[in-house]
Amino acid sequence: MAGKFSRRALLRGTVLGSGALVLGAPVVSAQGQEKVIRCGVVTSLSGDNRFGGNLTRRGYDLWAEEINKLGGIEIAGQRYPVKMFYGDAQSRPASGADAAVRLIIQDKVDVLFGPYTSGVTLAVQPISAKYQVPMISGSAESPNVWLSKPAFNFGMIPAVDLTSDKSIKVLAENLGSKAKSVAVVGVDEPFSKETAEGFRHGVQEAGLELKRFELFPANADLTPIISKLKDDNPDIVAVGGHESVFINFVNAAVSLDYRPKALIMHYGVTSAAFINQLGEKANGALGVSVWTAGLPYRDDLFGTASDYSELSFARWGTHPDYTEAGCSASGLVLQDAARRLGKAPPWDQKTRVELTKAIEETDIETFYGPVAFAKEGDHFHNNIKPVPVVVQIKDGKVVPVAPSSAAEGELQYPMPGAS
Amino acid sequence: MDLFLQTIMNGVLIGGILICLTIGFQLTFGVLHVIDFAVGGWAMLGGYAAYWLVALAGIDPFISIFLVFVLFALIGRAVGPLIYHVRTSRYARPDLMALAFTFGLFLLMRGGALWLWSYNSRNVESVFSGEFLTVGPVTIPVLRLSAFLMALLISLGVFLLLYRTRFGMAVRAVAQNRDHAGLMGVDVKRVSAYVYGLYTGITASAGVLIATIYSVNPSVGVRYTLFAFFVAVLAGLGSVGGVLIAGLALGLMESVVSTYVGTRYSLLVVFGVLFLVLLIAPKGVLGRGI
Repeated sequence: MAGKFSRRALLRGTVLGSGALVLGAPVVSAQGQEKVIRCGVVTSLSGDNRFGGNLTRRGYDLWAEEINKLGGIEIAGQRYPVKMFYGDAQSRPASGADAAVRLIIQDKVDVLFGPYTSGVTLAVQPISAKYQVPMISGSAESPNVWLSKPAFNFGMIPAVDLTSDKSIKVLAENLGSKAKSVAVVGVDEPFSKETAEGFRHGVQEAGLELKRFELFPANADLTPIISKLKDDNPDIVAVGGHESVFINFVNAAVSLDYRPKALIMHYGVTSAAFINQLGEKANGALGVSVWTAGLPYRDDLFGTASDYSELSFARWGTHPDYTEAGCSASGLVLQDAARRLGKAPPWDQKTRVELTKAIEETDIETFYGPVAFAKEGDHFHNNIKPVPVVVQIKDGKVVPVAPSSAAEGELQYPMPGAS
Repeated sequence: MDLFLQTIMNGVLIGGILICLTIGFQLTFGVLHVIDFAVGGWAMLGGYAAYWLVALAGIDPFISIFLVFVLFALIGRAVGPLIYHVRTSRYARPDLMALAFTFGLFLLMRGGALWLWSYNSRNVESVFSGEFLTVGPVTIPVLRLSAFLMALLISLGVFLLLYRTRFGMAVRAVAQNRDHAGLMGVDVKRVSAYVYGLYTGITASAGVLIATIYSVNPSVGVRYTLFAFFVAVLAGLGSVGGVLIAGLALGLMESVVSTYVGTRYSLLVVFGVLFLVLLIAPKGVLGRGI
């Protein structure tokens, strides 16, 4: 080994290396001097969560493309284009943190757009705080993300405990005296547990009778729990979980001849997989969404919620869900804060701190709905303004049914085939 | 009382699913002395095969189960010699190497499924989906009943094969002592490969029914491997007969604990029981395990 590494080779390597450094230095330096806003996206582009991760990327990219068509973000009368950089979190928190470091150190991003999952978001938060780079998260729904009061992180989607809580109240208001009792079940893992806790809180706030609250392991066979629900016979069954659990829940319930009068779940209900895979059995199921294309919101870049949906469809071939919408709206938040900040890029550390303060003061209306971040409490820096929309699957389509301001159809109660 | 009867029925039917999943696993352990981590992977792939046969050719899972058995038995027959080769290697710790090999095989299956079909869950529809029988206060899902009947049929089939055929005699001889069986003229490598093929066929067929009952996605394999291992330990590793008792016991335990104690404690109790079994009766419920 030693024989192969000659003094001449060492000298040649040193000279070439030094040359590369000298020649490359202006390039690296110029990177930091460009008059563009450098945005880093940390999300799961591979691994288990790549489907959702790519949805977030679509949302962020659509905003970047649209704003760049106008010449970029307007700051003090001049427009600065946006340049996107990507870091693959590989669906793993540690990889997400590494990707964020690379984006900040190597790509010298001015701002980060956050990951798809809450787990990766929690891992990236300390990195954004350490380097004082603001991070706007278009996804991440766990309330745990905001408990530590992250100074540099902002979340567009209200935490799941807020949305599930409000959705039960919206449902109770709509149903009036027709529904009196609720059973809440959920998978015993962070996201689903928080959803279930939110449902429970909503039940208590709405003054309904809570017949059962139970968590079950992700691997559990659902027939015992369905049998208990059948025995309890509540008017509404609320389930905290993900799409695969919902599919299994509906299958197990049908096989045991049980259909509650109302079955409310969360995010997975609006996913194409849930509807496509269950077919007719999905009809009547209720879900929660913080955004739908029919909502009466608008802004100057995307137009109305419906315009945004059509634009996204034209660009990606599928209609967007609220994750994509939340990610695109993240760009609008940056746009507004940068405009108010009034300082041209590139942004140094001090300016980034000022930008963070400007984001904190956000109070805007967008196609996605109102955006304002909580400045205290357990949902610190989470956008708590949007009111969740209760949706129902009708003939394989997602139809907003409550509140009345967002409803595009009537709530079907009891659901088809209710026991 | 109604809930109690339903709970017992739920437990028996869960047991049927566990038996389906484990019986081939036990057989292959008995002969090859390999804890096959890929058991969940074979079941998962069987589920996907059923899904695509419904989606592309409209073949009901209750018909495609036979096609899946043949297809996966052939694949297993081809893979079997590789596992045999690793297990009988002259290099250090072939038992651990075989374990690592099947684990790698499982990762390959899971990664391949994720790459090919993404993370989304697929629902496998059958003519019996959502069908149920009502006996007094008890509702019996037809799909689960089918899985239970299949468990009984497979068990019976395996017993007949082992105790009523010359091939079965060879299998038992190899399970008892590989070297002696070889000296008596049994082609150990060939028998092992056939047993592995039989195991993959049975497990993939079980996967068809399980996917019809629940749904299938690339990550379900981990769960099935775990359950198969639970049942195998309780039955006694390698004991085919013990699987019937262990599967039913675990199914009933899960159902009763879920209903009367709390669903979140069901796995805790199952783990507790496994711990006690390993401590008190490491050879399993019938005392015939290895």
